[in-house]
Amino acid sequence: MHAILEMTGITKSFPGVKALDRVNFKVYEKEIVGLVGENGAGKSTLMKVLIGLYKHDDGEVVLRGKTARITDPKTAAQKGVGMVFQEGCLLPNLSVAENLFLCQEGHFKHRGLISMREMVEEARSQLARVQVDVNPKTNVRDLSQACRQMVEIVRLLWLSNVAGVENPILILDEPTTVLIAEEIERLFTILMSLKKEASIVFISHRLEEVLELSDRIVILKDGRNMAELKGKDAKIREVQRLMVGHELAEEYYKESQQNEPGEKEIIRVQGLEKRGFFKPASFWVRKGEIVSIVGVLGSGKEELCRSICGVTKTDAGKIFINGKEIKIDSPKDAIRAGIGYIPSDRRDEGLALQLDVMSNITLIVLKEMINTGIINLKREKKEATYWIEQCRIKTPSLKTLCNNLSGGNQQKIVLAKWLAAKVKVLILDHPTRGIDVGAKEEIYRRIRMIASGGIAILLMSDTLEEDIGLCNRMLIMKDGEITGEVECPPQVKGETTVLMR
Amino acid sequence: MKRTSVDNDFCFSDKIGRGFRFIISHNVLGPLTALVLVSLVFIIGTKGFFLSLKNIQNILSLSSLLTMIVFGSSLVILMGAIDLSPEGVIALTAVIGGLIMRNERTAVDMGFWAIPVIMGVGAFSGFINGIVNTKLKIPSLITTLGMWFATLGIAVIFSGGSTNPILDTRFQTLASGHFFGIPYITIVAAGVFVILLIIEKRTSIGKYIFAIGGNEVLARQAGINVEKVKIIVFSIAGSLYGMAGFFLVSRLLSANPTISRGLLFPAITATVVGGTALSGGIGGVVNAFIGALTVTVLRSGMVLMNISPYVQGAVNGVVLIIAVTITMDRQKISIIK
Repeated sequence: MHAILEMTGITKSFPGVKALDRVNFKVYEKEIVGLVGENGAGKSTLMKVLIGLYKHDDGEVVLRGKTARITDPKTAAQKGVGMVFQEGCLLPNLSVAENLFLCQEGHFKHRGLISMREMVEEARSQLARVQVDVNPKTNVRDLSQACRQMVEIVRLLWLSNVAGVENPILILDEPTTVLIAEEIERLFTILMSLKKEASIVFISHRLEEVLELSDRIVILKDGRNMAELKGKDAKIREVQRLMVGHELAEEYYKESQQNEPGEKEIIRVQGLEKRGFFKPASFWVRKGEIVSIVGVLGSGKEELCRSICGVTKTDAGKIFINGKEIKIDSPKDAIRAGIGYIPSDRRDEGLALQLDVMSNITLIVLKEMINTGIINLKREKKEATYWIEQCRIKTPSLKTLCNNLSGGNQQKIVLAKWLAAKVKVLILDHPTRGIDVGAKEEIYRRIRMIASGGIAILLMSDTLEEDIGLCNRMLIMKDGEITGEVECPPQVKGETTVLMR
Repeated sequence: MKRTSVDNDFCFSDKIGRGFRFIISHNVLGPLTALVLVSLVFIIGTKGFFLSLKNIQNILSLSSLLTMIVFGSSLVILMGAIDLSPEGVIALTAVIGGLIMRNERTAVDMGFWAIPVIMGVGAFSGFINGIVNTKLKIPSLITTLGMWFATLGIAVIFSGGSTNPILDTRFQTLASGHFFGIPYITIVAAGVFVILLIIEKRTSIGKYIFAIGGNEVLARQAGINVEKVKIIVFSIAGSLYGMAGFFLVSRLLSANPTISRGLLFPAITATVVGGTALSGGIGGVVNAFIGALTVTVLRSGMVLMNISPYVQGAVNGVVLIIAVTITMDRQKISIIK
């Protein structure tokens, strides 16, 4: 076997986090490589480096025996490397044929004018190669996700064909998340038949799929190479163990500080439903309890949490806070009911970056500090100072703009804002996303502290291991449904981790 | 088109039914229906006078001028940008046109060579729009708003604030004359229509305009030189405004900077009434044409029916809002500013 792609020592840092650390990755002729790892392990980053969307800090990419400098997806395609993204990169308002040959119209030009007839004919014969029988004049917006993927695959194959490249490399990033079972079946048949002329890199969190399809499995962990297995011999259990990597460090998640939750239910959700996203869901969180919702992307957990805090509207269901039913139609209702939400993207959603520290902390409670229409500045200052001390926010002054603070301190300000508002329920949306290992520990400590204060916490986290480590109880969501519930008392966490996998 | 039922399931999202898909993919159909309905109302309302040769000629002539402007502004809107500068650019081209045709103020007489010069001035204004928008990265809304008042200001300076009569009457013949009953200006507009239709359907830049309107980030990733396309499109739009400026001056045989007043609103209304989405990517030359015709029919129909000008203004405003509501792809926009 002959390697057509060799990436060696690839390193890539983003501000505050090392996404890839000396990663090696090879692709051989006519094979399917499964690339797996937990969220944030660096799979997508590695592939984006390969197709030129990210520029790597260090390392070498050798393509077909030659050092390759790939600066953008277009050059990548000319060198026979293409990626099908989760969100797709076809233009919805153009037809299939126009999308297939976008920027390659020159092949169909006669005396400067495009022959649409030729373009449609070529599209038809290219689509036939993957047995997709769709009218090339159809607008892409009218196609199913499955079919869009096929069109993208055909586009990549055609591009490398035109560039005269043998054995192109196709990268599929989580292609199955948007598909239903039959479509997945069909995709796999097509991928197997494409193996005769191309190499495929297959990224998925559904390990059964990866094992079924791949000749070879490469496992990344925290931006490093973890292991490489032969597809035939690999067992799911083994791959999972390698993905998680090390045995859990003692006290990493501050397990001993885990509370025994109070008896009182703070929030109870009954039959909450949003059609097309999640089925009727019922659960409760008690005083001081941490409940995490686990599930892959598209399981509906994000939508569920977002509807509890009023960002998305629901079709049916009730929410009770302290036994009293409340109606939540907007974030404002949720805040009034005492539900706080800390988004994963704090730069965009959590903070007003152009405002100063004090204004951000007192944003929600400001109403209480108004005397006959005028803000009592003294009280506002006192309140802000109190929370800055409580949350150990490092800021030069109350008037410093949040823009000028570090990510960790911004995170703390978001938290202070909600604590000042005396929330009863706090929803944490991936609180450790994009944060380095050391900083994570600090956040875990803080989450424990909040729970001890009696606040009910609903958590969505990046890794299963983090979920288990932090929570009292875990709800498992699959395809929009809560399918299971697991207790996670401190002493059995290690076992639970193994059990879950 | 042969498809088995299995493929049908595989390839089409079931969110959209067949009938609805038909309307979306043929997004000319809706605006055309609107045009026919509006016309019918006026034909009945004026007891058939609306269909008289004189009125149809009038509508053709009026809509031809509007069409030139709408062709320009809709090309820009197709990319998801907007062009507010036509009134200013038309005023500038008109005033400059007045100074280089045989006129009372200067000794210059360029004859018909004035036409390419006027269009060149328009194209240059559009080129500046494109450069400012893409190189200085200033939103098209602000760029073209600035250009509107900049060009208008220059027009006032050049004109000295007064009307400049034009002495070459050949131009009036060109602007108001007929050929077997069809106004010359309509023939010119038809020519522009054909050229733009070819650009839209049969050239790369035509495809790129739609690609950019569909999703600029993806278009760039596909390898389209987005900046270049934008600059070219703004320039084409500018030259079309120049053409409109020329016909305005020629029809009135006099040039002054207020000549274009009130043209922006019908141009934008026509663009969206024709089915071009303000969010970009949907629409085209055919839509622009239908839109211009609809707006003209609406206006002249209301005049014929003696509807008060105040009511007419209100009707136009309501029509604009309704048209945007129907055509705009609001999924693409998370925050309405």
